[in-house]
Amino acid sequence: MRRPEAGSLLGLVAVFAFFLISAGGIFASAAGTASWLNVAAEIGIVALPIGLLMIAGELDLSIGSVIPASSLTVAIISGYYGLPEIIGILAALAMGTAVGFVNGYAVNRTGVPSLIVTIGTMFAVMGLTLGLAVLLTGSTSTSIVPSPFFKAILGGFVGGMFQVTVFWWIGFIAIIGFALHFAPIGNWIYALGGDKVSARNAGIPTEKLTIGLFMLSGFSAAFVGVGQAMVYQSAQVAGGQSFIFNSIMCVVIGGVLLTGGFGSVMGIVLGTITFSMVNQGIYFTGFDPNLGSVIIGALLLVAVLMNDTFRQMALSYSKKKK
Amino acid sequence: MTKFSRFAATATTAIIAGCAATAVMAADIFVVGGKPDDPFWSIVKRGAEDAGIVVKEQGGSVTWLGPQNYDNLGVDAAELIRQAIDQGADAIVGPDWVPEAMDPAFQAVRAAGIPLIIYNAGGLEAADRLDAMNYVGSDDHEAGKAAGVYLAGKGNSNGLCVNTLPGAANVEAFCGGFVEGITGAGGSGEVLPLPATSFGSQTAVAQAVRAHLLQHPEINAVFTVSDVDANAAISGIQQAGKTGQVAVCGINFNEAILDNIKADKQACAIDQQGYMQGYLAVAMLNGYVNYGLQIPTREILTGPGIVDATNVDATAAGVKAGTR
Repeated sequence: MRRPEAGSLLGLVAVFAFFLISAGGIFASAAGTASWLNVAAEIGIVALPIGLLMIAGELDLSIGSVIPASSLTVAIISGYYGLPEIIGILAALAMGTAVGFVNGYAVNRTGVPSLIVTIGTMFAVMGLTLGLAVLLTGSTSTSIVPSPFFKAILGGFVGGMFQVTVFWWIGFIAIIGFALHFAPIGNWIYALGGDKVSARNAGIPTEKLTIGLFMLSGFSAAFVGVGQAMVYQSAQVAGGQSFIFNSIMCVVIGGVLLTGGFGSVMGIVLGTITFSMVNQGIYFTGFDPNLGSVIIGALLLVAVLMNDTFRQMALSYSKKKK
Repeated sequence: MTKFSRFAATATTAIIAGCAATAVMAADIFVVGGKPDDPFWSIVKRGAEDAGIVVKEQGGSVTWLGPQNYDNLGVDAAELIRQAIDQGADAIVGPDWVPEAMDPAFQAVRAAGIPLIIYNAGGLEAADRLDAMNYVGSDDHEAGKAAGVYLAGKGNSNGLCVNTLPGAANVEAFCGGFVEGITGAGGSGEVLPLPATSFGSQTAVAQAVRAHLLQHPEINAVFTVSDVDANAAISGIQQAGKTGQVAVCGINFNEAILDNIKADKQACAIDQQGYMQGYLAVAMLNGYVNYGLQIPTREILTGPGIVDATNVDATAAGVKAGTR
């Protein structure tokens, strides 16, 4: 109970119980679980690096346009031009990572807050995607028929209902969780978000670290985009904008401080699950769907409040021990 | 964010207007429409631009004004209409998406003596109310109705309309028409409005459809209000294990959807022929401003047409060319 994730966990349990009571057993069935887990996996893969960035005191809004841009990169290279999928996938991932590098570099060099820098790159990538798509294919949507192998590993369904993205998400959780909590780089990230100047004075390569975190976030967004292209076998110029606020919401519900320096991978994962449950659970209940957004808003606020209460309890407990 | 995007929109339109102002007299036509990267609106824009070739030949210009996002659709579009007036438009084309928010702006267009055509949304009723020359577009209510009648005729008479943009007048009309069409044909229909957090995420739409199908196993027909949603709905149906039992019909289509119709994954697509909306509206206004030409037929309907397995190949050629 004294761990900072306790609040997130309780919020999750409360939301789960709420839907179990109001929706009945079907919410807890395999099909019901897959319904929110698939949504959680896609947001989750983006939310993890966004969480790391927020712990380090930065934000990345450009993911909203990197996701459709990478979907289209794959669809145009491997669908429209018919080159092997692996080339399209690598190009899409490289594109996302490159956008991340530009973000990190610009934040370091200009000192402009990352919120502003990434709004800039978001619009730039959006415009480039539209311009290049129309220039190359004459259309804003492109279809792709992936070969069975790539369809299976990136866009398949396990048991006919669990998107394979769920397993990739678990992979991301394992790697990023290890990096943040067990590797020295994790302490560097906390230090960066706590106090940038002291972190640099302590010998932490803050600039490289910042660029690296942005590259990770660009890469992850591109990965989600590639997955979407494989699942839906088509890509459009628009879409993906909802990921910006949804991922930030997941991270905040997960107990990461907007001001940086505090948060955990387990918290982000719990926050993502809570958000997705609330988002999807509404369809299993008998509520008027017109009021769906109200219930989503209210439940999210409750989850965050619970979180904050428990974080303070956790912090004050640990102070007493001294 | 909103403030910034509005600033960006103003800045870009100001630059475009600055360039347009250098053209010699003739018809400077402003077209207010959707986001240029919206798959459907890019086709309307293409039609407007193609008609613009003639406009340019005659010394005029065509300027496309679209919102950066759909978060505040009615208000943003009203602002674009006012921008068009301020920039000295000789004629304006605009959709009446959210009448409450946009009608005052359209009235200002007419108050300034600028010829106006309502297109895409609003119908002849809006054109009459706003003293517009004409309405070019499909009737949204009829479009939804056509889908309802079609699906019921195929034996899928328990319908669901997936509303991904609750509150927008045209989307509400699609769903209303669908429910009316399917009920009129002896079936039943309902509407599933999705929260704002789902807009633009195919996975969220797919999971919503699938969750609703699990809760309501009697549903065997799904109607979607955009091509992207149709694709997502098919995935949702497949994940609910109901492929082949639930028929999908949607507004608009793209290459992927035509493939789905060919592969029998989607029953039909309702086509409002957006290319003709942009093309005809601009051509008519250009003729009017330059030469006083008027079309006596009021309410130029460009749809609804139904694309299904019988005419899918002919449609595919237009998609390749970016005009359908």
